[in-house]
Amino acid sequence: MSDQDLVVETVRDILSAHEPFVLTPERPWDAELWSTLAEAGLTGVGLPEQAGGSGGEPADAVAVVRTLAAGAAAVPVAEQLLVAGPALVAAGLDLPPVDQPLTVAVEGAVHAEPVDDGDGPGRWTLTGTATDVAWAGVARHVAVLAAAPAGIEGAVLALVDAAGLAGSEARNLAGEPRGSLVLGGAPATGALLPPARAARVRARFALARAVQLAAALEQVLAWTVRYAGERQQFGRPLAKFQAIQMQLAQMAGEVTATGALVDAAVQALDRGEDVVLPAAAAKVRAGAAVEPVARLAHQVHGAIGFTQEHKLHHLTRRCWSWRDEAGSELTWARVLGVGLLADGGDALWPALTRVV
Amino acid sequence: MSSPLAPAPAPPSEAAEKVRAEVREFLAAEQAAGSFTTHVDTWLSGVDPAFSRKLGERGWLGMTWPKRYGGHERSAMERYAVTEELLAAGAPVAAHWIADRQSGPNLLKFGTEAQRQAILPRIAAGECFFVIGMSEPDSGSDLASIRTRATRNGAGDWVVTGAKVWTSNAHHSHYGIVLVRTAPVDPGNRHAGLSQLLVDLSLPGISINPIRILDGGHHFNEVVFDDVVVPGDMLLGEEGNGWQQVTAELAFERSGPERFLSTYPLLAEFGRRVVDSGDPAALATLGRLSARLLALRQLSLRIAAALDRGELPDIPAALVKDVGTTFEADVIEEIRRVVEVAPSLDSPDPLARALAEAQLHAPGYTLRGGTNEILRGIVARGLGLR
Repeated sequence: MSDQDLVVETVRDILSAHEPFVLTPERPWDAELWSTLAEAGLTGVGLPEQAGGSGGEPADAVAVVRTLAAGAAAVPVAEQLLVAGPALVAAGLDLPPVDQPLTVAVEGAVHAEPVDDGDGPGRWTLTGTATDVAWAGVARHVAVLAAAPAGIEGAVLALVDAAGLAGSEARNLAGEPRGSLVLGGAPATGALLPPARAARVRARFALARAVQLAAALEQVLAWTVRYAGERQQFGRPLAKFQAIQMQLAQMAGEVTATGALVDAAVQALDRGEDVVLPAAAAKVRAGAAVEPVARLAHQVHGAIGFTQEHKLHHLTRRCWSWRDEAGSELTWARVLGVGLLADGGDALWPALTRVV
Repeated sequence: MSSPLAPAPAPPSEAAEKVRAEVREFLAAEQAAGSFTTHVDTWLSGVDPAFSRKLGERGWLGMTWPKRYGGHERSAMERYAVTEELLAAGAPVAAHWIADRQSGPNLLKFGTEAQRQAILPRIAAGECFFVIGMSEPDSGSDLASIRTRATRNGAGDWVVTGAKVWTSNAHHSHYGIVLVRTAPVDPGNRHAGLSQLLVDLSLPGISINPIRILDGGHHFNEVVFDDVVVPGDMLLGEEGNGWQQVTAELAFERSGPERFLSTYPLLAEFGRRVVDSGDPAALATLGRLSARLLALRQLSLRIAAALDRGELPDIPAALVKDVGTTFEADVIEEIRRVVEVAPSLDSPDPLARALAEAQLHAPGYTLRGGTNEILRGIVARGLGLR
């Protein structure tokens, strides 16, 4: 068993004691699951030990995120392990303790101003409102991608303490917190990123959601195949009907194609390549799979899958939101289109063969 | 990740990237010299024996076969790069396509030494073309129901009677690998009693009649066998093993990049239009279609890597062909939604022409090589449902 398999086994063991539940404003996340994961060192996987992480490769972090996504785990691990954590490390900033939930904010209008307090560079104040913040109200720290001071290109990646920040509550279709945070001159440590590196932070976020989507869609397929094998109608399992087999095969095509591209984008990340176009492609492909896979899964599950009594909604509702989070499908489709045509219309094919 | 539906990811191949660059350079020079013009779906419609010979001269046919049969002992990943580049350029590859893709590998796997020696070097040289003899007028998806019969005569030769249809480019080809019934139907095992014969299409008693497709093009044929005497040593593989051999052949037939790149020349033309217009909706469409193409490409690369490992990825091949051919047709509709263009074969606008070609070929994408319904049945088997 590889190290990665061991990590995945550990996450699965932990998950088996934490059933997903319907998220509400009163109970917007699984704090107990987070504590258990943190105690096992799983909230620092892929982050360097010298920065306070648990070490390991980015691929190990991806494996953790995949497993948690397939289990509909209501914890900000994707944001911490795949986006905010690595982005802070890459920018040379200190990581907050990895047992405290960390998220990332890339939307809204926040600008950063440097503070000249005699402590040297790296001190900023953030002003504005960060919107659609994953796990707002839950995360203890937020890595904010803020606009750089006027006249300076790029963005400032800055870490703020979320305690005491005002904001408004909002949730995605699965009830996951996606509120806004109001920053009124909030003190932060940060670093100026040139435009290309700021774009990479956004791309990492998109890739994180694509990883979650791929894993969730694969699980939805597995649940649906199992259900079709168990559910009897007209004296035989649904899976024996050719019409149902066609639907399941169609789902399998979407899930398999998505998985292949997301895996390739993750490999590009592992190799340290610029992942903007791979992440854009992975996010768009995964998003495109959501409609057919979720639709067919619900169709095969019938009315029971349309209720909160059945587990299917834990993943389908997440997928319907994740496909437009971390940059909408439309946004990333345009990024990909523009990127592929950067060298002109005659160079589309060479561009395609370079992406992944 | 590897599963019954998808082999493990393909490792990067420097050799493949090297040959890719060589093919690109060759294609650019050929296009500059006016040796061919780009069309949609050229692996069906682009017959150019001279072009095929040029590929043979450069070692780009029979690439993975042993050198003693005229091959080049290169990897499936290298072959993948070559075929992908040719398809993306809309180059005329139909003449040799079947022979290089599946007839050669079939001969290599099941042929006698004499058959291999006689034929494989000629395929690799781009001088010998093949047709597939599977479907019949009354046997499409239900391939086991074929009625073309072969019986032994007193001299030990095979006497073949029947008809095969949709035989692409039979009128330009030298041989067919023909699935025949060599024993009466066994109601308990309808896959038994089938065999494959290697048939020289110039033999007396064979007539080749055109069947025109929607755009009027002559690619398909009906090949009629009227008491055709096929030498006894032209049995391919084992008598009665035809079903297993056909199944293996279909894995090659279904796995390549031609199952999602048939309409790529249309997408390329659309790309040129989008650069000119800068229309954000069209850019997004290009991005969406490209993301689907990139995913298919990853799956197809995985299959090439699996072939290099000696696997027979029949279920992944069925899956990629189902998803890929659906994509090929979707390219047409997605483009129509964001561009003002009417399809026309006579238009001076290359986008209008590509759209017309793609549209008139579209019904074929999800039929040839096994309908998508048959393919989904195979995928369902991979899911454990059958």
